[in-house]
Amino acid sequence: MNGYVIVNVLGGLLIVTSLLVVLSRTPRKAAFVYAAQSVLLVSIFVALGFVTGSDELFTWSIAAFFTKVLFVPGVLLFALKKMGNPEQDLPSVVNPLVSMLLVAVEVLICFVAVQGIALPTAEEVKPALAISLAHFFIGLTCIVTQRNILKQVFGYCLMENGSHVTLALLAPQAPELVEVGIATDAIFAVVIMAVVALRIYRKTQSLDADELMELKG
Amino acid sequence: MEFGIAVVQALLLVALAPLVSGSARWMRAKMHTRRGPSILQDCYDIAKLFKRQDVRTAESSFVHRIMPPLFFGVMLLLAMGVPMITRFSPISVLGDVILIIYLMALPRFFFSLAAVDSGDAYAGLGGVRELLIGVLVEPALMLALFVAVLATGTTNVGGMGEGIASLSAGSPVGVMLAGVAFACACYMELGKLPYDLAEAEQELQEGPLSEYSGPSLALAKMSLSMKQIIVVSWFVAIFVPWGSATDMSLASLAIGLGVWLAKVAVIFGACSVIENLVARVRYKLLGRQTWAVVGIAAFAFVFCVLGI
Repeated sequence: MNGYVIVNVLGGLLIVTSLLVVLSRTPRKAAFVYAAQSVLLVSIFVALGFVTGSDELFTWSIAAFFTKVLFVPGVLLFALKKMGNPEQDLPSVVNPLVSMLLVAVEVLICFVAVQGIALPTAEEVKPALAISLAHFFIGLTCIVTQRNILKQVFGYCLMENGSHVTLALLAPQAPELVEVGIATDAIFAVVIMAVVALRIYRKTQSLDADELMELKG
Repeated sequence: MEFGIAVVQALLLVALAPLVSGSARWMRAKMHTRRGPSILQDCYDIAKLFKRQDVRTAESSFVHRIMPPLFFGVMLLLAMGVPMITRFSPISVLGDVILIIYLMALPRFFFSLAAVDSGDAYAGLGGVRELLIGVLVEPALMLALFVAVLATGTTNVGGMGEGIASLSAGSPVGVMLAGVAFACACYMELGKLPYDLAEAEQELQEGPLSEYSGPSLALAKMSLSMKQIIVVSWFVAIFVPWGSATDMSLASLAIGLGVWLAKVAVIFGACSVIENLVARVRYKLLGRQTWAVVGIAAFAFVFCVLGI
C-alpha cells in the first residue's frame, strides 16, 4: 500500500478523535482522547518520515510523543486534580449534532480550499492537508461552543496540532529548530492557561466561562 | 444451484426465527438470575398459536387480515436475496440495496396500518410509534449505505461485501464510520430495548399486535424475528463479509454456513446483553439519538468525498 494512503487514513482518524474531544462531556475524558489523538499525530510523523525519507521527522515524532502524548494531557489532568476533580456539568452552547455538522462542513470547505495548492508534497496528501487546515477551525469551534474553560484549552491544543501536521506535510525537511519553536510555544501556552484556569477555579469555584463576566468593568 | 441456496436460506430463516426470540428470552432470564423458559419455548408457543382460532375485531378490514402473510412473504423474499452463506447474493436481482430498503419499508407500512385498522386505540398508538422509529432511522441507514455504495461502486449487497472483503473499496475511514453508523441504525431496526417503543408494554399492552390472535399472531411473531435475522445478516454481508463462501463447492458452503451462524450468534448475544442493561429511551429523546447516528453517517460521507 502506498505510504501516503496511510498518512491520509491516519489524518481521517485524527478528525474522529478531534470530534470526540469536542463532544466529550468532561475535561477528564477530553484529556484522554487528546492523548490518543497525539499518538495518531506521532504515527503520522513516523509514516511521513518513512515515505519522505526525512530523518528530522523521526526526531519530531519523539519530541511530539513526550510533549503531546504525555506532557500536555498530564498538565491538564494535574490541574484538574488540584481542583479536586470538579464534577460540574457544563453543557456546550450548541447541541452536539450542530457541532458535529459544523465540523463536517469545515472539513469539506478546507478540502475545497486546498485543491488550489500545487506544492510538490501536497499533491499526494491533499486530504491530510485539508484535515490539518480544518483542525484550526475545529479548535476554534471547540473554543466558541464550549463553556468549560479547560475544554477551551483543548480547543487551542487542537489548533496547535493542526499547524504541526501542516508543517510536517509541507516542509518535512525543516530543521528541528522550527519544530522546537512550535512545540515549546504550545507547551508554555498550555502551562500558563492551566495555571490561569486553576486560579479562576479557586476564585469562583467554577469552570464556567460565563462566570467570568464578573471581571468586567 | 443458486436458487437452491436461496431456498435453503429461506427455510433456515424460518427454522431459526423462533430460536432467536427464544434465546433472547433465555438470556434475559439468565441476566435476572432466574431459571427462565427453555430456548425452544417460542417454538412451542408458535405451534400452539397455529392450532388456535383466528379472531378479529368487527371494525377491522382486509388490511388487518393480509398483514401477517404479507409480512411473512416479504421476509421470505428478502431471505432469498440477502447473502448469508455465500459472499454473493443467491438471486442477484433481489440483492440490490435500494430494493432491500423498499422491501423493508413495505411490511413496516402495513404493520402500522394494520395496527391502526384494528380499531384498538392502544394498538394504533403502537403502530404510529413504529412508523416514527422507521422515519427517524431510515435517513441514517440510507446515508451509511450510500457511502458504502460510493466506496465500492455497486449497489448489489454481494458486490459491496466483495469490495470490502478484498479491501479494494476506496476511502477506508469513510467505510469504517459508515459501518458504525449502519450498525447503530440496524440495532434500532431490531426493535430491541431501548428502542422498542412500539411494544412499550406497561402503557400500551403488547403494542401493534394486541388485536391479533391464533395463526395470524404466530405469523407476525415469526416475521418479526425473521426481520431481526435479516437485518443482522444484511449488516454482516456488507461490513463483515469475511469467511462467507466465495464459490459453490460444498466445503466452502459448509464453512460459510458455520461462519454465518457464528457471526449472527455473536451479534445477537451482544444485542441481548445491551438490551438487558438499558432502560427504554424516552419517546421525545429518540430523535436526538437517531440524529447522532445521522451525524456519524454524514461524517462517513465527508470522508468518502475526501477519498480517505
